[in-house]
Amino acid sequence: MGCCKVPALIQAQVEMGLVNDVEHKSLFRRDTDSSQIKAASLMEQGSLSASFRERASKTPNNSVLQSFKIVILSNKLNLLLPFGPLAILLHYLTDNKGWIFLLSLVGITPLAERLGYATEQLACYTGSTVGGLLNATFGNVTELIISIFALKSGMIRVVQLTLLGSILSNMLLVLGCAFFCGGLVFSQKEQVFDKGNAVVNSGLLLMAVMGLLFPAVLHYTHSEVHAGSSELALSRFSSCIMLVAYAAYLFFQLKSQPSSYTPLTEETNQNEETSDDDEDPEISKWEAIIWLSILTAWVSLLSGYLVDAIEGASVSWKIPISFISVILLPIVGNAAEHAGAIMFAMKDKLDLSLGVAIGSSIQISMFAVPFCVVIGWMMGAQMDLNFQLFETATLFITVIVVAFFLQEGTSNYFKGLMLILCYLIVAASFFVHEDPHQDDI
Amino acid sequence: MRSQIYFMFSNFFKSMGWCKVPGFMQAHVEMGLVDEVELKSLLEQETDSPQTKAASLMEQGSLREHRAKAPRNSVIQSFKIVILSNKLNLLLPFGPLAILVHYLIDNKGWFFLLSLVGITPLAERLGYATEQLACYTGSTVGGLLNATFGNVIELIISIIALKNGMIRVVQLTLLGSILSNLLLVLGCAFFCGGLVFSRKDQVFEKGNAVVSSGMLLLAVMGLLFPTVLHYTHSEVHAGSSELALSRFISCIMLVAYAAYLFFQLKSQPSFYTEETNQNKEMSEGDEVPEISKWEAIVWLTILTAWVSILSGYLVDAIEGASVSWKIPISFISVILLPIVGNAAEHAGAIMFAMKDKLHLSLGVAIGSSIQISMFAVPFCVVIGWMMGAQMDLNFQLFETATLFITVIVVAFFLQEGTSNYFKGLMLILCYLVVAASFFVHEDPHQDDI
Repeated sequence: MGCCKVPALIQAQVEMGLVNDVEHKSLFRRDTDSSQIKAASLMEQGSLSASFRERASKTPNNSVLQSFKIVILSNKLNLLLPFGPLAILLHYLTDNKGWIFLLSLVGITPLAERLGYATEQLACYTGSTVGGLLNATFGNVTELIISIFALKSGMIRVVQLTLLGSILSNMLLVLGCAFFCGGLVFSQKEQVFDKGNAVVNSGLLLMAVMGLLFPAVLHYTHSEVHAGSSELALSRFSSCIMLVAYAAYLFFQLKSQPSSYTPLTEETNQNEETSDDDEDPEISKWEAIIWLSILTAWVSLLSGYLVDAIEGASVSWKIPISFISVILLPIVGNAAEHAGAIMFAMKDKLDLSLGVAIGSSIQISMFAVPFCVVIGWMMGAQMDLNFQLFETATLFITVIVVAFFLQEGTSNYFKGLMLILCYLIVAASFFVHEDPHQDDI
Repeated sequence: MRSQIYFMFSNFFKSMGWCKVPGFMQAHVEMGLVDEVELKSLLEQETDSPQTKAASLMEQGSLREHRAKAPRNSVIQSFKIVILSNKLNLLLPFGPLAILVHYLIDNKGWFFLLSLVGITPLAERLGYATEQLACYTGSTVGGLLNATFGNVIELIISIIALKNGMIRVVQLTLLGSILSNLLLVLGCAFFCGGLVFSRKDQVFEKGNAVVSSGMLLLAVMGLLFPTVLHYTHSEVHAGSSELALSRFISCIMLVAYAAYLFFQLKSQPSFYTEETNQNKEMSEGDEVPEISKWEAIVWLTILTAWVSILSGYLVDAIEGASVSWKIPISFISVILLPIVGNAAEHAGAIMFAMKDKLHLSLGVAIGSSIQISMFAVPFCVVIGWMMGAQMDLNFQLFETATLFITVIVVAFFLQEGTSNYFKGLMLILCYLVVAASFFVHEDPHQDDI
């Protein structure tokens, strides 16, 4: 991902222990050189180091067993992996949907994390652009897969609610916990983050809300030209526009503002620090692709059973389906991102936390939702952007509240606490909210 | 009332030695208790460590204590100080007059008006008594006292209305108080301050304004969800779901308010250092506590009892007044009651703005709104819960929408951190729009309990 600033690249190499301190100092001594010569010499260094690294470990040729060890056995979270097959077993043995739901939920959590890991490994090999795109697309692939499965089963409401819940959970719970924990650790001062980026992101979220509001308002003022099909057509058109906007956002982030991507490089460094010891790509490019496919297939399989079990679980636990879709599913689905955001905040890297939380919200609202509408269009499922009044109002209020909180560019534990309390209010509302449109397709 | 709050905070920092030492000494000079010579000698000890300075000031303080700290007033003296010293107290006789009228005539309109007028000076005296009491308590308890008693009039009126089962009146009165504080009080403060300082934009501290806006938005969220739940007819158990949700949300809001108090008192001492000095100039005459601790408590009790009695008659008379004056009850509850109830705060906020101390005006206006929305409203829900009254946070669609729009508008105005007379005028005009809406708004849920 070499689009970072040059010093950061050198820093990264030092951290990777591959350019020793002497070389480091000599690189900096050439102050009088033009930056181009500097860049050229660094490129040489880079290629030297690259070839050096290549010989050493750039394309680790792991045997199948080694690869398995690295990917599967290295992370403690993977202890939860057996729950997946257990859930499938239960599906065929008992009829207790509640347990199946719970176990598949638990089984998916480590897979989400491993998917992120595989994506990051693959991104080491691709250029910065493709790497950024990869992250932007696969960041929430678990939600996407669950949604596509639900679409295929015709459970449109579940799709809408799950995506909505993911947005709400990211904006309120993840962000709130990050602000809160960071604020507690750094209680002497206020933590700062990049206000410009936060404002752009808030603008995007508001645009997403607009995209969702208009079909809902059109429907509820009973003022559409052709009842029923107007909203659908409007939703599909809005989805295309939102996808264009998301593409433009990616372009804007990747090309025009390399400085705003420096945090991502730091992120790479951070992630490499936090990943298990080795900062090199641990698995080869083809291994990464293979693991990505395996994990995706595995997640798809489990999601199928998960989606099947939702209604049964709702009945056996006596909780509204909307509560399960909006609150429970996303909390589990976002568990890894959640932990990551809190960690970044506690290390005073609030920009990264914001990137995780708000970036994920934008990805879902501006990419996953319209994408599902388009996929539904192709499948012939009548998914539209009319999320019904209560849910749309909730999203609107939440986005406004969060946009206000982000305006200032600083955070403290109190702001985090307020966001968490907002989330509790939202969760409580959904607990007593019965979806009157449960059977609408 | 708010000037007294900040005066009270200044007293905390006196007792806790928190404020900056030079400011502290300056304050003493202003109080005329440390003469110029002593001040110079104190300042000369600049090379001393701050601890030594504080210690010497403490000595000074204890000397003063012998002189006047715990005044022992006779009953007559106490009466004079509390009752007769304030011009506003000329309105006091209207209270008993209202009660007389209640038994003599049947004209609810006049009776309502007279009790309203009679309550106004009591509100101001209650604030005074609270401030006096706070001189004796520590900073934490003092802060809590103010945070609770700041809007005790509205609380008392609301609790009495709750007992009578007039849930709608409670909701509307509290809502009106929030709206009046956010738009009218703030708008007048900005306007008058802007007229006095027309050459420049007045500034206030943006950070605090943003935190306050955040709290207001949280309060609005708390009110919005039960309403939206009800109006989308999507509750699981019709009727009781909103009540359960409202009670849960009220607990959350009370927790948030407690956290807010904690955050303000512990984490940001710098916020209060400026005001310490300013308020000494503002309070009337004597900066030393004028009445002893027990006198303050006794007066607090007497005034509270008196307010409760008058409020009882007031609440009784609302419906009759509405009929005889031909105005909707919602207009009376939302517009008239709060204007009168907040009269003293109103005057205080305008005064602060005209002295270029906008952050105090903001503290009065926005702080009062937060107190009502995050404390009084949930508190009433909880009290109603204990009483068995079915008060919930569903303020009905029109009122909730009004509150939502108002909070968004005000939050926008506060974003920038500056003010001028035009912003003030816009806020006042917003209030006129809201008042006009309520004048023609018939509450369809008047009889819902």
